[in-house]
Amino acid sequence: MRNNTFIKAFTFLALSLLFSLQVMSQEEATEEKPVARPSRPAFESGLLFDNATTTIQAQKTLEMIIQHRFGTMDNGISDLYGIWAPSNIRLGLNYSILNNLMVGIGTTKFNKMQDIQVKYNILQQTRSNSVPVTVSLYEVIGIDGSAESKYGKNYTFNNRLSYFSQIIISRRFNDMFSLQIAPSFTHYNATEHPVDHDRFAISVGGRIKVSPQSSIILSGDFPLGIQSISEHTEAINDEVGIAKPNICIGWEISTSTHAFHVYIGSAQNILPQENMVFNKNDFFDGNILIGLNITRLWGF
Amino acid sequence: MKKSLKLLTMMVATIAFLTINMAMIQKPGGPWDVPAKYKAMKSPLKANDASINSVGKELYNKHCKSCHGSKGLGDGPKAAKLETSCGDFSSKEFQALSDGELNYMSIIGRDEMPNFEKKIPDELDRWAVIGYLRTLKK
Repeated sequence: MRNNTFIKAFTFLALSLLFSLQVMSQEEATEEKPVARPSRPAFESGLLFDNATTTIQAQKTLEMIIQHRFGTMDNGISDLYGIWAPSNIRLGLNYSILNNLMVGIGTTKFNKMQDIQVKYNILQQTRSNSVPVTVSLYEVIGIDGSAESKYGKNYTFNNRLSYFSQIIISRRFNDMFSLQIAPSFTHYNATEHPVDHDRFAISVGGRIKVSPQSSIILSGDFPLGIQSISEHTEAINDEVGIAKPNICIGWEISTSTHAFHVYIGSAQNILPQENMVFNKNDFFDGNILIGLNITRLWGF
Repeated sequence: MKKSLKLLTMMVATIAFLTINMAMIQKPGGPWDVPAKYKAMKSPLKANDASINSVGKELYNKHCKSCHGSKGLGDGPKAAKLETSCGDFSSKEFQALSDGELNYMSIIGRDEMPNFEKKIPDELDRWAVIGYLRTLKK
């Protein structure tokens, strides 16, 4: 059952990719037509808190990413609202091979997660609205670097792997407002009982530009509890529950080579698959934390 | 002893002052060698085109302001660290340059002036920036 769902999700992604290639080849065949002006990017950075956006930097651009999540504010002034609490950090490098293809690697403190990422834009919004949205395929492969003892007696390297597959659909409505919606599928090769190996989720994100360089940014990741793909009975699922939504609201400042995010959010795990399956912090219960993202670009 | 200490302090302060001031002296950029193709270019945007104060202003603030300053006076926070003066976009000399010359200087660049072909890939967006530079005249 579990494998079937996994295969279906990947088949869907593969078909989307083939469809996009077909569209591209059709476009090549009709070369005489004037090229539609691509819309300016919906988001300044390829990053929106813990999520990806459809923005891919120009070809041959290297992007360094620093993501920092303080602890939750639950303990109040005793740990300076989470600033003195254990924090999670990810360092990443993304490289744009093409204007619509990015690859990346990263390392995260919690669970010593290593990750490999690929993002490919299959459709680009145009200013004439002949293509109304930008569509990206996004894949993150995570490798948990925790001690072998975490996986018990039947340990194999495969136990460490997790996969996050997402289709991101964004639209830049005008110079001020952009929105994206992103269904995703997460699969862990190994989880502890009673956590399901598979999880569908929906993410939404938005940007409201308030000055030429500053924006208010928002996002929400909503893991879906779909009983038909669960490995456990409804009673167990009701008792254990699924990961809590990751809600984030913050401020973005972007310059020619940098983007900064300062925000309040609920998840501390950074990698999307970790948030979709393991986030226990409930934003509306006050389990919130301060997060920071910094990106730096170099062109080659 | 006190006199020697005072003398030494004055010497250190003088050397520090001279060093900082010498470091801050910037060379003028010198004439640009703009290809004929660019010299002949004219902006397809009219002076009142809406994109100048939206797209042009936004891109100027994102890519140019940190060196050239919010009013183009060459007084942005990074300007003092450059070896070459950023110039004054509000001056008559600058505004007398042709659209094409401004396009080449702004987008292609040279030495410390970066190339923006990748960061501003759309041709009309580039002209919107040039249009915005025109609004900075005194």
